[in-house]
Amino acid sequence: MSTPARGTLPRASGPRLADPILQGVLAAIAASVLLLIGFFFVKLILESEPAFEHTGVVDFVFSNNWVPSRGQYGALPLVFGTLLTSALALVIGVPVAVASALYITELAPRRVRGPLTLLVELLAAVPSVVYGLWGIFFLAPKLLGAEKWFSSTFHFIPFVGGSPAIPNYFVASLILAIMIIPIVSAISREVMSTVPRDHKEAALALGATRWEMIRIAVLPYSRAGISGAAMLGLGRAIGETIAVTIVIGNAAVIGDTVFSQGYTLAAVIANEFGEAASDPVHRASLIAAGLLLFILTLVVNLVARYSVTRAESAGARKVPVGMAG
Amino acid sequence: MTAVLTPISSRRRATDRAARGVTLALTLLALVPLFLILYFLLKEGLGAFSMSFFTTDPTGRFLGNAGGIRSAIVGTVIIVGLATVIAVPLGIGVALYLVEYGKQSRFANAVRYFIDVMTGVPSVMFGLFIYIVLVVAQIDGTFAAWKGAIALSLLMLPVVARSSEVVLNLIPNALRESALALGAPRWRMIFRVVLPTALPGLVTGSMLAIARAAGETAPLLFTVAFVNGLSANVGQRMNSLPIQIFNDVSQAQDRLVQRAWGAALTLVLMILFVSLIARLVQRRSRLQP
Amino acid sequence: MGIQNEEGRTLRLQRFSAAAVVCSSLAIGVAACGSSNDSSSTTDSASAQKGGTLNGAGATFPAPIYSEWAARFKDKQGTTINYQAVGSGGGIAQFTAGTVDFGATDSAMKDEEIAAAKSKGVPVHVPTVLGAVTVSYNVNGIEKGLKLDGATVADIFLGKVTSWNDKAIAALNSGLTLPSTKIAVCHRSDESGTTKNFTQFLAAYSKAWDKGPGVDKSVKWPTGTGAKGNDGVAACVKQTDGAVGYVEQAYALQNNFTTASVKNKEGNFVAPTLPATSAAGGAATPPEDLRFSTIDGPGADTYPIAAVTFLLVYQDVCKAGLDEKKAGLLKDWLNYALGDGQAVARELQYAKLPDSIKTMAQAKVDGLQCNGTAIAG
Repeated sequence: MSTPARGTLPRASGPRLADPILQGVLAAIAASVLLLIGFFFVKLILESEPAFEHTGVVDFVFSNNWVPSRGQYGALPLVFGTLLTSALALVIGVPVAVASALYITELAPRRVRGPLTLLVELLAAVPSVVYGLWGIFFLAPKLLGAEKWFSSTFHFIPFVGGSPAIPNYFVASLILAIMIIPIVSAISREVMSTVPRDHKEAALALGATRWEMIRIAVLPYSRAGISGAAMLGLGRAIGETIAVTIVIGNAAVIGDTVFSQGYTLAAVIANEFGEAASDPVHRASLIAAGLLLFILTLVVNLVARYSVTRAESAGARKVPVGMAG
Repeated sequence: MTAVLTPISSRRRATDRAARGVTLALTLLALVPLFLILYFLLKEGLGAFSMSFFTTDPTGRFLGNAGGIRSAIVGTVIIVGLATVIAVPLGIGVALYLVEYGKQSRFANAVRYFIDVMTGVPSVMFGLFIYIVLVVAQIDGTFAAWKGAIALSLLMLPVVARSSEVVLNLIPNALRESALALGAPRWRMIFRVVLPTALPGLVTGSMLAIARAAGETAPLLFTVAFVNGLSANVGQRMNSLPIQIFNDVSQAQDRLVQRAWGAALTLVLMILFVSLIARLVQRRSRLQP
Repeated sequence: MGIQNEEGRTLRLQRFSAAAVVCSSLAIGVAACGSSNDSSSTTDSASAQKGGTLNGAGATFPAPIYSEWAARFKDKQGTTINYQAVGSGGGIAQFTAGTVDFGATDSAMKDEEIAAAKSKGVPVHVPTVLGAVTVSYNVNGIEKGLKLDGATVADIFLGKVTSWNDKAIAALNSGLTLPSTKIAVCHRSDESGTTKNFTQFLAAYSKAWDKGPGVDKSVKWPTGTGAKGNDGVAACVKQTDGAVGYVEQAYALQNNFTTASVKNKEGNFVAPTLPATSAAGGAATPPEDLRFSTIDGPGADTYPIAAVTFLLVYQDVCKAGLDEKKAGLLKDWLNYALGDGQAVARELQYAKLPDSIKTMAQAKVDGLQCNGTAIAG
């Protein structure tokens, strides 16, 4: 790319065709991206066909037996694991993320806002596999004692009790919660910063405390955006692969408790693609699992994007969701 | 809101204090894992660092010397470099089209919409996709570095396109119009005015995409596989830092876990370095979002 | 920082990466760049250096010895062997799909698996070494080797025997004081030849096992923690007090596990040792296609869960997709495994093949072809 233009521009010297050519090339690039995504979709659907033929769509999603060596592909344990871990991650991660966003945008002393933002964003710079490494060799063993205590003390709560495994749903959820904090926090901050100053100042002028100002001015205004941020976090959690693969135990069963081992759709793909290389039905089943994962994330992301865009178009600035990650 | 001019009751004051305390506590809680991870990365990772750690390849031997991570570092640089070469021009091209030509046309909106969809696709899906269309179909051999680069570029493309679009939109229209008024054709205006002005922003967006791609494991697992030795042949399998870490983690031997920590620290430092450059470039940009 | 690539050429790192980027921008999809390991023409110190690369994938059971062989084979003739230990299931699958140059498994391919590979040709099983599937445990208070029989091991893995001082275990170990620690079962989660061999042994002594989980590379486990690969199971056992798992001997030794003596066909309790594993090999009488198993073999001193492990190649390796050069290297690799490699086996506690079986295996290797003619080399 050339240096910035200085002074006057020389008169058009290039051929007249240059303009339509550039437009054509750029349009072709844009079109090829559309085509690529289309091909991506079509390929996934076509390749997963044998799985649905073999198992049936309903049975594939709702039957509880994933035993590839016997040709049984019921993905319910995987769907269950995916939904449980990402839901738990949301429950743990979102309050923390939103609280940190509130603190940073509304409460913190001005000079610590920058450093705090940077630190929260640093969480996003840690690769998935490093979370896995830390999760399995530090977090999971350290948590075991607490999990044992918790499950024997609160065994009357559903899905609690029994003897916890080292890798389990809960550890995976915790790792996922940590992983979604930066994105949820970042988008929440963006949304909160679009709250009109007038609203906040009006609340304060009426004698509200800071927290009351947050409750009557900031939260109602940014609620849609925050739920959108949470949904985007959910989308991340659903699709997260390597960290979960390392800490969830990879057992294709529906665990009895949150401290049991399980499996997720993404993890099964990562683990079994090699074994499925030559078995068309197994391979198709993994692709079908991928399709399921894709549909889940797609729905979640569309809802999220809708809420965030709505929240932001109400605000003054438009923030690209893609950059926040 | 009846409290006009009445003194704030002690109960409300207490609530305020409690709420501040809770949000502060939760903010600090969010940072606990960060500090723990950084602590372990530094403690375990620095312990693994040595000259030979960076200058030897993994040996793959079951007993004895496990070797270093040289081939993994080189592989990551090559694969991510190639992915950047693919994704950045395409991403910026798409953004240019959207901003300069497509604008709000139906086609342009469709492209925007699908790029948004692409941003949300889990990275494992891109790996699976490339695995099906390039590896299993045995296009030019099986597992190869260039296939991994394509998988990564699919991940980077929407990030580059979205961030570039934002940056290009920030350029004041007056700048474009004055160039056109001076008689410059559109293409000249784009290359002489728009792109140079947007350059720092475009670089920042691309660097962030690189930082994101460099740590990805799943897309490489399916496409590049794993080797111990050093190789610069993009038509063959290649080692990479994320895969090296993943392999060492799953073997669970102390000496390999040690190497995994060292490799993890190296990877995080590389990502931080790229992110830092992105930030510095952004700071120097005249266009601030 | 000067770095050396595989052929011994020294490159400057900076120039190297710049070249890589330039190169990659030119050659997407074309393997045109710095082909470091495919060119055998570069100068080498030893005259016998052939260079090249072979990619293999499969069982984790023999992975320790294969990686050792790979390192020595590289020293010997400069050829790089990339062996990915992904489990026998993955090995057979990748071999069948043709994504690797050779596969590896420790349970012979089933008839339907052979049929599935038909489009590439006839799979040849080349047995390489024998190893012991140990019943390894990590229990505070049991430092010496326990005695276990097939039925009891099956009950442990069925979840029927749940503590280490259970009557069934105590009955076999009179004189030992057993702790009441709860048993934590560790098993494989991937498709594994080790699992197939282990479950075959369990099924031979337990009707409940045979009727329930059955015999396969992966089964529906009634209890326990799943882990990937022999290494994963070893890690699981190591991390948990009261854990029991089945891993290959080399993994047990590496982790200093205590291993059980297992009751064999003749009624003797035999510890997993090199002679006991060798005895299992000596007692075997393989069929012509060498698809055999040494599980629960005869002989007073035979370790009952000793398993043979195979490399998989196609009868006509070139028709299966390899070029002539790779065909030669593959034959060299197999010859190494059956030749010099055999002597290395004992260093990692694998038993070498008995002579009779080695002769049969060598005949298979000699009979490999490239496009209908014998492979030179």
